[in-house]
Amino acid sequence: MRIIHVFLRRRLWPVALLAAALAPAAALGAGYPRVTSARLAAAATDNGWLMFRRDYAGNSYAPFRQIDTANVKDLRLVWSYRSHLQEGYEGSAIVNGDYMFITTPKDHVIALNAVTGKVLWKYAKSLAGVALKTVCCDVVNRGVALYGNDVYLATLDNYVVALNAETGRVVWQRQIKPADVGYAMTLAPLTLKGMVIVGESGGEYGARDFIVALDARTGRELWRRYTVPAPGQLGGKTWPKGMYKHGGGSAWITGTYDPLTNTLFWGVGNPGPWLAKLRPGKNLFTDSLLALQPRSGKIKWYYQYTPHDSWDYDGVNTPVITNLRYHGKEYRAVVEANRNGWFYAINRLNGKLIYAVRFTRATSVAGFRNGAPYTDNALRPTLTKQVFTCPSFLGGKNWWPMSVDPLTHMAYVPTIHTCMTMKGAPTFYKAGLPYLGETFNVVHDPDDHNWGALQAINLDTSRQAWNHDSALPWDAGAMSTAGGVVFSGSARGHLYAFDARTGRVLWRSPQLSSGIIAPPSTYIVDGKQYVAILAGWGGGVPIWGGQMVQSVSNIPRGGHLYVFALP
Amino acid sequence: MRTRGFVLALSILLAALGVECGEAAGAAALFTAAQARAGRTLFEQKCAMCHGRHLQGLSGPALKGPLFASRKAGYTVRDIFLFLSVNMPAYAPGSLGAEQYVNVMSFLLQQNGFPAGRVALTAQAAATSTVALLYHGPDGRHGRDARRARDCAASGARAPSAGHAAPRGCTPLAAAVPGIEAGGHRHAAGKRLR
Repeated sequence: MRIIHVFLRRRLWPVALLAAALAPAAALGAGYPRVTSARLAAAATDNGWLMFRRDYAGNSYAPFRQIDTANVKDLRLVWSYRSHLQEGYEGSAIVNGDYMFITTPKDHVIALNAVTGKVLWKYAKSLAGVALKTVCCDVVNRGVALYGNDVYLATLDNYVVALNAETGRVVWQRQIKPADVGYAMTLAPLTLKGMVIVGESGGEYGARDFIVALDARTGRELWRRYTVPAPGQLGGKTWPKGMYKHGGGSAWITGTYDPLTNTLFWGVGNPGPWLAKLRPGKNLFTDSLLALQPRSGKIKWYYQYTPHDSWDYDGVNTPVITNLRYHGKEYRAVVEANRNGWFYAINRLNGKLIYAVRFTRATSVAGFRNGAPYTDNALRPTLTKQVFTCPSFLGGKNWWPMSVDPLTHMAYVPTIHTCMTMKGAPTFYKAGLPYLGETFNVVHDPDDHNWGALQAINLDTSRQAWNHDSALPWDAGAMSTAGGVVFSGSARGHLYAFDARTGRVLWRSPQLSSGIIAPPSTYIVDGKQYVAILAGWGGGVPIWGGQMVQSVSNIPRGGHLYVFALP
Repeated sequence: MRTRGFVLALSILLAALGVECGEAAGAAALFTAAQARAGRTLFEQKCAMCHGRHLQGLSGPALKGPLFASRKAGYTVRDIFLFLSVNMPAYAPGSLGAEQYVNVMSFLLQQNGFPAGRVALTAQAAATSTVALLYHGPDGRHGRDARRARDCAASGARAPSAGHAAPRGCTPLAAAVPGIEAGGHRHAAGKRLR
């Protein structure tokens, strides 16, 4: 303004007009870098962090070497940002150029300068008139997606909102389901081929869930893939009459995309109601990995991780696309550490199992025949029979994204060691109420009294490479880097840096203001590498955690973004 | 016949006591003040960490107000009590005693503007009550639903639906008395599974 004023005072009108005409172009040039499909396809090597777990493969791996095993101990806090909301923070910080976008509980988006922490704009989805009655596991949000000049948010009242990245202004919004009748969204959207793709939560409320693709420019719906088939559709016979209408199959974690096979991978959650006795059959496609045609949502193939589930073993954990060498043979694989306590490696060309190994005590799924899992039927609860089985419905591993490092060929898996008692209970379906049919209590694994661990699994051998025990549950996502460092946060509120090969703790941040349940991100601006993490305890564990709840009940609440860098 | 006679006698008695159509008259009196007090203590210990000390909602939903107890949601006392007593608190479902669950239910009703009365709520009554769980304002007198309830009360019947002999949108008085099924009315939306 001051410069314009000088121009005007000196009567340099022609120059001022020319400057004004050029200003928008100049601002755009120096401002927000447009996110193209080509940039998203190359997100793995981008200096930013362009999507949920960095790239379409979902590796949560950055090829940055500036912060390495030798200097990570020198990391210092560069800036931080505090939010006033007290619920859980599960979002990944998304970075494009020097723009950073974070989300908070209850669907707020904050744009910040990634170098200075200066707030650029804030957006808060109006949830007036929304009761948030059918959100099972805290009113969380897991971050935004980017495409063009827009930022996309999926909300608790089932809107997809497109915001202008530079102003935060709403470009379009579209509600894909009414609020409070069993559906909600907590996931980060996925932008792919000009589409914005989201999935619904609601496995605890008798929803019939789906994945939906919208036109990223207009919000127009392009396809909707129900995860529970109707009679006459593929898999329709795996449900008793009418039960598909409230069969669950939530799709509450962002999927991944494989350009080699042009396949969209998306995990599907538990069947409803929880008590399997009420719905005889395999209950497809619950607890399954779906391989979809990205343009139509058509199912190419599926792999069911837990057939006829009675234990709430959602199959939504990020399906990570990677290659591995097992028993001397090369595989194009998709790998997933499942709620049911098994680590799956699946051939992504045809959906056939390569191997499955337990990564924690797992008894409900007892083993595999001809590449398919079988369950221990003695461990199925009924209205009159209480069972004890492992892991608990929380996992195993819950949604916290693992990381796969292409240099070490290891998967870094956030783990909880839990078992549970479970018994059938009466239930009835009514829109807006939970639909469970079971009672339960989460207890310790009798052989391991640590509630959690971060462990490394060698993808080529399927064996554990290292393990970091934690008395408290390990509820946070992992990230690996080419510097040989694995980052993940603890419930006590420390960001950890591990040696990727050995698991040795190389650095631990000072205790942050709350416990960590979010995954870290890393990015480079002006040649400097940063590591960002949201602290903000909450999520499902403190609500549903049974005996675990007491151990985490004193963790302070509140949201705080921390950004670290070398001096 | 004996049951019907008892219902009639009880209805007349309650009406005479002013429990049903007393001065507040916004909502049925289903519990005692002592039950709601005991329920508050339990709520603060067992529920407030997720639902908020003032039931305003934190990680779990708000449990009071026009969004929670709405006509649109269509909850009955029974709906909420069955879920509460079977599946809450989420970290230890079913871990409270029947009397404790009834007290928590009493507190929830009180916080949604239901008045305390002289007859104690029982588990049996709560588990079968088809009384609509509607927010009646902080003092039990506010809101469209409360006004409607008053209109119904004036005509000797009760809001909301399912009545066959009552004015439109009202239920015969006896249906509002917990633990007693009047004319076999049950809420229609829920399909019970065993």
